[in-house]
Amino acid sequence: MLAGWTTVGDMIMIEQMPIFGGYTGGVEETAICDVATTLGSFACFAGNFHLDGPIHIRWGVTTAKETLQVAAYAAAAIDQNTDLLLANQYYPMAGPCTEMCLLETAAQAIVDTASGRELLSGSAAAKGVVQDKTTGMEARIMGDASVATCGMKIEDVNEILNKLVPSYEANFTNAPAGKTFQECYDVKTVKPTQEYLDVYDKAVQSLRDFGLDIKH
Amino acid sequence: MAATRALTITDVYDRFVKGKKVSVDEWDYKITPENLTALKEKYNIKFEADKIVPEDKDLCNRLFQAGLEMLVTVGYYNQDLGRVMHVTEEEVWEGIKKTPTKMIYGEGKDIARFYPRHGNSNVKPIIQGGPTGSPISEDVFVQVMQSYAQEGVVDTLVNGVMTTIEGHPAKTKTPYEIRATMSELRAVKEARVRAARPGMGV
Repeated sequence: MLAGWTTVGDMIMIEQMPIFGGYTGGVEETAICDVATTLGSFACFAGNFHLDGPIHIRWGVTTAKETLQVAAYAAAAIDQNTDLLLANQYYPMAGPCTEMCLLETAAQAIVDTASGRELLSGSAAAKGVVQDKTTGMEARIMGDASVATCGMKIEDVNEILNKLVPSYEANFTNAPAGKTFQECYDVKTVKPTQEYLDVYDKAVQSLRDFGLDIKH
Repeated sequence: MAATRALTITDVYDRFVKGKKVSVDEWDYKITPENLTALKEKYNIKFEADKIVPEDKDLCNRLFQAGLEMLVTVGYYNQDLGRVMHVTEEEVWEGIKKTPTKMIYGEGKDIARFYPRHGNSNVKPIIQGGPTGSPISEDVFVQVMQSYAQEGVVDTLVNGVMTTIEGHPAKTKTPYEIRATMSELRAVKEARVRAARPGMGV
C-alpha cells in the first residue's frame, strides 16, 4: 500500500500506539520507544505526519496520567529537534454525554497542545469500542480546550493538569457508560440535546475552576 | 558515514527480506526491554510525577537522543517475516530532511494549514474531529460525521468504521468490507456538504 501511495503522491499518515505497561515497561522506556518508532515512521515508511496514541495496558485509554506523560515527553523531544508534524488520537474511558468524558478529552487536548503537537484527532469516547458512542460534542471540547491552552506557560499547564487528571482518574474503575449518538442528538436535525448541552456547560465550568480560561 | 539517500519503501522491503531472523519472544521479552532499560540509564531519563508536560528542555533533548539510538541500534521488527531491518543515523536524518514540513489539508475555503507549531505556540493545532475508528451504525453514519463537520472548532475529519453495508456485517476479507469502506467515504463527503464545508480535509 505504501508503495502505491508514495507513487501517486498521497498524504501519508503513519499510526503507531505504544502500550504503556507492556513489553516497553514504564513511562520513560515507553517514551523512548515512542520517539524511536515515530522517527522510524518518517525515516523508513515515508510518513508525512505521525499519529501517536500511547495506550494504558490496564485501562485501554489514552487519557491516563502515564499515557499523557508518555505522549507529552515524546512530542516535546521530537518537537525540539525537528520540524516533523505530530498528531495524537483520543480514547477516553467514559462515554458521551458525561462530564468525565469531556474532562478526559480536555486533559489530553491540553497536553497535546502544550507539548507542541500539530494535530489532535478524536475523540473515540467509551474507548472506541462501543457502537455509536461518539459524537461531535467531544470534538468541540477537544478544540475548545486546545484553543484555551495555546500560548500558556508550561508551569501553569501542569498546575491545571495536576488537578484535572486526578479528578477523573479516580472514576476509572466505575466510569459512566454514557449515551449513544442517537440519544445525544436529534438524528433528523443533527442538533445536540439540551441534556448534553447542560453537561457540556458543566464540564466547561469545571475546567474554568481548574484554571483553564475557556472563553466562549 | 553519509547516507546514499533517504530510504524508499523498496529499500526498506529489501532490508527486511535480508534481515536477521529473530523470534517474536526474543524481540518482545529480551531485545526491546533490555535496550530500553539500558538507554534510560545511559541518558538519565527520569520523569517527575507532577510534570505531565515536560519543563526540562535538556531532558527532552536526551530523550530524543535515546529514541534515535534505540531506532538505530535495535532496528525495526517485521513480525510477518520474523526479521529485523536496520537503519543508520544518517539515513534517519535524510528521511527527516525529505519529509514535508508544510502541508495543506482540504480544498478551497475549507483548507487547514498543517505547519510546525513548536512548543506551546499561540497557533491552534489542527482539530481533526471524528470517531477515530469507532464502530458506527450504517443508518446514522452521515449524521455522526456531520455532527463533527458542523463544529466550528473542527478543521478536518477522521471517520469511524461502518459496521454493516446494506445490512450485511462489514467482515474483513469479504467484498462487504470494501463496499463498506467505499460507502464510508461517500458518507463523509455527504456530511461535509451538509455542514456547508465541502472542501474540508478528510
